Amino acid sequence: MIRVIQDGPVAEVWLARPEKRNALTPEMLASLCTAVAQVGAGNASAILLAGEGAAFCAGFDLSLCKDHPDGSVMRALLSGLADAIAALREQHRPVVIAAHGAAIAGGCALLGAGDFVVTNDEAKLGYPVVRLGVSPAVSAPGLRLRVGSGGGAAARELLLNPRLISGLRATELGLANQSVPLAQDVIGVARDAARSLAEKPAGAIAATRALLAQLDMLGDSPWRALRASLALTGGDEERRMLPAAWRTP
Amino acid sequence: MTQPSLATLDVQGRIATLTLNRPEARNALSLDLLAALHARADDLAARDDVSVVVLTGAGKSFCAGMDLRAVLGNHDLALRLLTSLGDLTVKLRALPQVLVASVNGAAIGGGCGLTTVCDFAVTHADSKMGFPEVDLGVCPAVVAPWLVRRLGPGKARAVLLQGGLMSGAQAHTLGLVTSVVPTSDALAGAVDELTAGLAQGGLGALRATKALLNELDGSGDSDLVRRAAAISAQVLSTPDAQARLRAKLGV
Repeated sequence: MIRVIQDGPVAEVWLARPEKRNALTPEMLASLCTAVAQVGAGNASAILLAGEGAAFCAGFDLSLCKDHPDGSVMRALLSGLADAIAALREQHRPVVIAAHGAAIAGGCALLGAGDFVVTNDEAKLGYPVVRLGVSPAVSAPGLRLRVGSGGGAAARELLLNPRLISGLRATELGLANQSVPLAQDVIGVARDAARSLAEKPAGAIAATRALLAQLDMLGDSPWRALRASLALTGGDEERRMLPAAWRTP
Repeated sequence: MTQPSLATLDVQGRIATLTLNRPEARNALSLDLLAALHARADDLAARDDVSVVVLTGAGKSFCAGMDLRAVLGNHDLALRLLTSLGDLTVKLRALPQVLVASVNGAAIGGGCGLTTVCDFAVTHADSKMGFPEVDLGVCPAVVAPWLVRRLGPGKARAVLLQGGLMSGAQAHTLGLVTSVVPTSDALAGAVDELTAGLAQGGLGALRATKALLNELDGSGDSDLVRRAAAISAQVLSTPDAQARLRAKLGV
């Protein structure tokens, strides 16, 4: 469900479960970590993360949680997501993300690992999970990096208000860097951006990326954020509210 | 002594409304009003059936700012007033509920500061908002950390140093409020729509998410607001500030 394609100096990592809008499973997230590690050991100069089919990623495959009211699958999904974001962020080469169509909840959280995010004007983005009794805290550190130091209000708006925003609005907020009119054009623009970054002097890019990571001062906040999300799993509220995810189409 | 009527709390289902209720003084923050707000915030901290709190002002104003008339020439009282505001900002931010400021009219100085502590702020295009403290020779220290968290350091610096006031429409462009409606009569509907959406969230999920966001942006730093209150009180006691305030207040 993860495919890696080497395209010259760019390693393309594809979420490849289009029939489920690339909904994430624990196995997919583990494969994503493995793929990123493999790419990291290779000679690619940039990484492009994209999704096959109509949408980048619809979030977690919550139907998997149906038979696990103890929260074990939700815990595996949350931990796998945090690991995947960390794996992407630890790369020495730039990460470009082609977020066409939709990047929702866990799918939107992946954008927090991007150096350059491309989306389309009508794409749907956001973290509408509090109404399922799930805390999007795990997404918060990455989101804060994207929306910048002036994004205190935007981070609260996106994480506490369970609604989606457009690709255009996401670009205004800094969650994405560029929005194009048509969803099918996202991948081409993202490829151009990745190729352009791959052609820059690798030493300068790596040093700049390392410096920016220091300035981010993330510290252990991604893991504290993960723990905040994990703390609710299997609880009464999640058991009561999460079934709405598979009752509604 | 606390006068509860200066700040009222009305709970309807999962949504509470906390109202500054001193309309004859444009809801200016006196020691008594601040004490009443502290008491209502303590009540809210114990309410685990409420998920959203709307903060608003009775009458035409949201809050005209600190009531400095009573503390002019008295450094100790001024420090008490500013410390009470500082402690209130930390207390409100730490509430488990999602806070929405419904900025029904003027929100000035410390009053505008109260809106920046909220997770969301909604106003109408013609309201007046801002931090005119420096124009009066006063330092907006207590609100500064909150404004930095809302706008980022670059914009916050310009706003606090330039002083003056802006319209609700300008406040929205700047990012001081999260949404704006064209006219004051549309405000209630917009706030109802926002709070209804927020109240769909699970209580535990909202609480955990807000707590983590507070942790990430250092919202629990009560020492910082205490130091800020001391700085603000010190500047307030200077002859320049006292002269400007006396001229402004006509005393």
